[in-house]
Amino acid sequence: MKIIVRICTCIMLAAAAISCTDFEELNLDPNKPTETSPQLLLTTACWDVFSEFDNFQYESRMLVATDGESSEQFYNWTRGDFNFYDDLRNIQKLEEESVRVSSDAYLALANFFKAWYFYNLTIKYGDIPFSEALQGETNEIYTAKYDTQEDVFVGILKLLKEADILLDGNSEIIDGDILNEGSLDQWQKLVNAFRLKVLLTLSHKSTIGGETIASSFASIYSGKALMNDVSESTQINFLDQSGSRYLNFNSSSFGSGLYMDSTFVQKLIDREDPRLFVYCTQTPNALKAGKAVNDFSSYEGGNPTVQYSLVNEKAVAGNISKPNARYYDDPVCESMLLLGYPEQQFIIAEAILRGWISGDAKAEYNKGIKASFEFFAGQASTKNYSSYLSTEASDQYLLNSFVDLDEVTSVEMKISYVITQKYLQTYFQAGKTPFFEQRRTGYPNFKTASGVSIPNRWMYPQTEYDYNNTNVTEAVTRQFGGKDDIRETPWYLK
Amino acid sequence: MKKITLLLLIFTNVLIVNAQIKVTGRVNDQQGNSLPGVNVVIKGTVEGTVTSIDGNYSIEAKSEDVLIFSFMGFASKEEPVNGRTLINVVLGEDVQQLNEVVATAIGIKQQKKKIGYATEKIVDDVIVQAKSLNLGGALTGQVAGLTVSNPTGVFQSPDFLLRGKKPLIVLDGIPVETDFFDIPTENIESINVLKGTSASALYGSRGKNGAILLTSKKGTSKDLQTTVSTTLMVSAGYAAFPDPQHEYGSGSNGQYEFWDGADGGISDGDMTWGPKFEPGKMIAQWNSPIRDKVTGETIEWYGGVKNTKYDDRSRYERVPTPWIQHDNLKNFLSTGIISNTDMSISMKTDRGQFMMTGKYAYQKGQVPSSRVNSGGLNFNGTYKLTEDLTLEGGLSYSKVYSPNYPRYGYGPKNHMYTVLVWMSDDVDGEALKNHFWIPGQEGYQQANYNYAWYNNPYFAASELKQVHDRNVISSQVKLRWDILPNLSIQGRGAVRIKDLFENMQSPKSYMNYGDSREGDYKTWNSEQTNFDTDVLLTYTANISDDLNVTVNGGASYFYRKYQEEYVATDGLIVPGIYNMGNSQGPVMATNYLEEKATSSVYATATLDVFKSWFLTLTGRNDKSSTMPTQNNSYFYPSVALSTVVSDYISMPKHVDYLKVYGSWAQVSSDLDPYQIESTYSNNGIFGTNPKISYPSGIVNSNIKPEKSSSIEFGLSTSFFKNRLGLEGTYYKVVDENQIIELPLSKASGFSSRYVNGNEYETKGLELALSAKIINKAFKWNIRTNWSFNKKTLTKIYGGEEKYNDLRVGDRADDMWGTQWQKTDDGRLIIDPNTGLTIKDSEKGYLGHTDPNARFGFQNTFKYKKFTLNVDFDGVIGGVMSSTTIKKLWWGGRHPESTTGRDDEYAAGKAVYVPKGVNVLANGDIVENTTAVSWQTWSQNYPYRANVTEDENKKFANVFDRSYVKLRKVALTYNFANNNKVRLLNGATVTLFANNVAVLKNIPLVDPDFTTGNDDDLQDPSARYIGVTTKFTF
Repeated sequence: MKIIVRICTCIMLAAAAISCTDFEELNLDPNKPTETSPQLLLTTACWDVFSEFDNFQYESRMLVATDGESSEQFYNWTRGDFNFYDDLRNIQKLEEESVRVSSDAYLALANFFKAWYFYNLTIKYGDIPFSEALQGETNEIYTAKYDTQEDVFVGILKLLKEADILLDGNSEIIDGDILNEGSLDQWQKLVNAFRLKVLLTLSHKSTIGGETIASSFASIYSGKALMNDVSESTQINFLDQSGSRYLNFNSSSFGSGLYMDSTFVQKLIDREDPRLFVYCTQTPNALKAGKAVNDFSSYEGGNPTVQYSLVNEKAVAGNISKPNARYYDDPVCESMLLLGYPEQQFIIAEAILRGWISGDAKAEYNKGIKASFEFFAGQASTKNYSSYLSTEASDQYLLNSFVDLDEVTSVEMKISYVITQKYLQTYFQAGKTPFFEQRRTGYPNFKTASGVSIPNRWMYPQTEYDYNNTNVTEAVTRQFGGKDDIRETPWYLK
Repeated sequence: MKKITLLLLIFTNVLIVNAQIKVTGRVNDQQGNSLPGVNVVIKGTVEGTVTSIDGNYSIEAKSEDVLIFSFMGFASKEEPVNGRTLINVVLGEDVQQLNEVVATAIGIKQQKKKIGYATEKIVDDVIVQAKSLNLGGALTGQVAGLTVSNPTGVFQSPDFLLRGKKPLIVLDGIPVETDFFDIPTENIESINVLKGTSASALYGSRGKNGAILLTSKKGTSKDLQTTVSTTLMVSAGYAAFPDPQHEYGSGSNGQYEFWDGADGGISDGDMTWGPKFEPGKMIAQWNSPIRDKVTGETIEWYGGVKNTKYDDRSRYERVPTPWIQHDNLKNFLSTGIISNTDMSISMKTDRGQFMMTGKYAYQKGQVPSSRVNSGGLNFNGTYKLTEDLTLEGGLSYSKVYSPNYPRYGYGPKNHMYTVLVWMSDDVDGEALKNHFWIPGQEGYQQANYNYAWYNNPYFAASELKQVHDRNVISSQVKLRWDILPNLSIQGRGAVRIKDLFENMQSPKSYMNYGDSREGDYKTWNSEQTNFDTDVLLTYTANISDDLNVTVNGGASYFYRKYQEEYVATDGLIVPGIYNMGNSQGPVMATNYLEEKATSSVYATATLDVFKSWFLTLTGRNDKSSTMPTQNNSYFYPSVALSTVVSDYISMPKHVDYLKVYGSWAQVSSDLDPYQIESTYSNNGIFGTNPKISYPSGIVNSNIKPEKSSSIEFGLSTSFFKNRLGLEGTYYKVVDENQIIELPLSKASGFSSRYVNGNEYETKGLELALSAKIINKAFKWNIRTNWSFNKKTLTKIYGGEEKYNDLRVGDRADDMWGTQWQKTDDGRLIIDPNTGLTIKDSEKGYLGHTDPNARFGFQNTFKYKKFTLNVDFDGVIGGVMSSTTIKKLWWGGRHPESTTGRDDEYAAGKAVYVPKGVNVLANGDIVENTTAVSWQTWSQNYPYRANVTEDENKKFANVFDRSYVKLRKVALTYNFANNNKVRLLNGATVTLFANNVAVLKNIPLVDPDFTTGNDDDLQDPSARYIGVTTKFTF
């Protein structure tokens, strides 16, 4: 009996003791941190920034679908999404953590990534939330107002200008940089190359935020460090390791209903462009016939403008090429260029042609093409094709009449050559950039079905109408007279 | 007063030692049937026995003792011994059934008449006859307001919804988190369902949605009693079987030729829109031999030729082989087997009761190499240490082990995804079964008909192993001290430890979308500890004859800890060696720890006034570790009143009794741990650099507990001497302060934030009717229950117009989805350029997902020693969308998808003209005349948007979910002991069939497996037949 009473007492005392546990302490998550070093967020940013680069570029007339109607291919898409703002949340945290640890270098990179995302958002939609964006947690702004596209561009350029200043002469050591291995010089070159890209996007305009676009471009071109060769490109080199592999590795989508678009294939064939061999496969019929890899007649694409069942018939007949198998069966496949030296050179060449700066357009353009060949030749997954992408091959290529800038006389035609070269090097490399370049310049020509025109933008997401109605409605009224349509023209294209 | 008498009696017994005599006899009902299981207790003691299966009993008693015979559903009877050695008793049925004692919250037992809220006890037969590995399914249709889903796959556990919410499961007074695979069915004596908030308010936040109380068996027989029961059941056909079309094979546009299974041949990457099965047709297939065009040599081959010398189409080709149909799904599934053996030993002595049970159950699934084993041992006992001190204890161990069980959901891991939807009938299943590997690449590359999306289903079922190994140990100790006859205190402690090791072994070349195809080994090791302790003080005061007060006061503490370690390889070096040391890349590992505690105090008071009015007040205060400090303490009150009207108002002749009741309660609930502070999550690594990210939901450090208030009224009555019984409950629940993730504009940087908001109102009605239709030598009893409920959104946070798709006043279960554009008068609009329909940019209303009514209908027929149970249940109304049906259309496997093909292939162009209209540029509406490819149409119209049955019966993918299911038929024969076999006290044999048949509206799938949408690609709904034998010694 005594023992039992004792046991009882013990149990109750134990219970009483436990119930005095500090509940607040018990609810502190032992698994995850509330603060972090910016380097961990930098790695996230460097990875996420390529998140749309694995998209099938139907809207850029590079691929066609034969097992369903792709709204991008048929130019009848409707709403886009604001998922870039999800990536921006981590950029915002990168900024906050940089400020917390007082690092200019990380802050500069946060600025760059912000500018990058807002740029991609504004060319996709028009006006977007910018000045009040990303403040849901810090300032409880849940319904951010939309800034005009012009103001967004001003803001982007300001972010990049600040980034350049923060990086100038900066000798901090940064970690977690999976793109430039901690080289702040290379980041600074990227920032400035991107400033040129943003300014050139405004080629329909003459001034931005009160400054002349051409002279802003010229002062960066002449006064700031830029990339000198392809090795200075900012790119991600994939690794054969979980979480680090090529984005489309093992993607099942390549195994059915995904074929090459005749637009893209034909442009490469016309120029006898050997990059065709690393981009796609020979047709089944060509393989059956035992044709050589560099036989341009063994490649064909599908017509993007007809009903997909008709394209499927051509595929069933064994007459369409597919994307090269390395895009899904090689875990490292090829590096992705965020903004590479080739693109920078084409930007400079176009600016020279537009008279924004002086220089030798052809020389800059040729450097871009040769660098692109060099880039593809340097990938491990293209080693079987390296002989087709040699220096001799690129020299030979520059003589092709559809390539040689001297073959045409008008500035407009020369620009079409430059943009086409920019286009040809963006296969699985640049997300929707080639499409927006087409909208800005009209090159290359994208065929459409009769009565269908090429859209300029995406409709705002439904969630904006659901949760930010006043502001999105105001922006649509202001820009398009209340009509949120994919064929309305945003400010930068006017 | 009573208790004092009782005590006196005990003392008298102790003081005066009298000679014991042996009393025997038989207990019958009024029809002369023997009653097994009747409690026979010596009045004033705990000594007693129960009658055997033939109604006989034997007890040692003294001449002046009084025997009490009690049995549920019958009026108790007292018989003084008076020196007799043979006492036969006839028990009359208890017409009121109101004195029956049932378990209520926190283990307090209460007479039914005193309960002011709805509870329903599961009929004993249901528990006895539940012989699958999971008790849960057996509860389907048994209780008004309790919804149980019945998933069709092996080792899938049912979901429970009580009045639309997930109830708490309580085992012997202790809340448990269980999927029912680790609950020892054979050890369960009774199940009582506390339906509403008032019933379970004393469980605090854990019991806010009602509770299912399970009570273990206790030893009741004075002699050592042993029972052994064994069940064997096998699958026998299907209640519902998704039979696809069997006329056309793989391919597209009527064409097919295999080369690499990834569109390298002719449409060999996907789809069943290929050539028709016709005698003499020859096509190159995945198992066709390879011919060297140069030498003419042919080689037997299975699968693709990638990375072999044959991957050269200019030199090698596949030799066409006959294009033949195979019934793959039926061949793939084999007979399922369930066996279940359990045994119990019980004993009762003067001072204690002991019970020990053990079981072993085994299930072989219909999917190749799927198995589940479960077993366990339980012991529980009650022992009177002294006259006023009782110790109760229990210890149980359960093991659940599956060496391999199938996966469901939409994806390559699910065999149904492959065999039903994406593997055409031309594929020779036997060849897949006999050839797992490509010749020369054993261990590295599976042989298959496809290399883009799908696995060889036999290879996947056997070579991929998913292991589940669970050990659960529960122990409970309770000490009760009866300080005074009307004052007692009890203390209790319970620990339940669940230890789980899971792993997945993926062979090389196994395909699951983006996962590694280099083989994989993943392990999850977790341990969960739940610790519950409480004290309860009970005081009863008999103030006057007309006023009796019972007060309970208690305190409890709950602590829960969960930890998990996950380790995984990144590819395997040597195939088939599932070990972390065999990883190609760096081994990935994470761990997780979660803790939570709640401390509570509570009290109840029950007032019995004039013995016919019963008022119960309860209050509980919880303090939870998961809430912000300023909001972490909250109170739950409840009040319940019941009265037996027939005790003081005279009723019409045929009314046996009438009880009415009403109650009101309010409960709150907390959060999961760590929800009030934002933390970074690890998103994997790039090289050696970790990637982390910030959560997309904004936390709220001021979040308050959710609050639900419920009010209910009910009545319970019976007529014609208990021939007809009726119970009815009406309830209304208002859920306020809901912790919702309010969606945000993503421009804020976040996609949601936590707020307290929205208000929902649920109204429901539950009816249960029982009747003894024939009550002679042949008996026919029926029970039926009906429930109706509707949950409405009554307020939206911040007065907003919409919350997701819903507006104020909408049903909370309204389903909205993308539909095709229609004209104002509802005609389908077709774009003459594409020949296809156009998606409407606004979502359309498709119906509500919850049924209008759910019902159960149970029949019991008895004749002599035969008992036949026939149970039905079903639902009326509600809609569900079917992923299976959508995908069958898309892939060309839908039985109706064969109709338009031959005409089109014969014509060489599209000939199918869908019914609909074109809207011209000037706004004119004309009939559609554009022909469209039948394949294109089938891949779009019934697949890419929702089509209701009203819109188009043939192409519908959203259906009315009404069904009636013949759940169970069971025939039992009771071999009462005729003393021909020594030792044997009784035996029963039951033949039964479960999931017998279903009458349903939706084609192909069984709507019973889920309460949501069909998006899981379930196994066909198998019927099981079996036999159970039970012996008692």
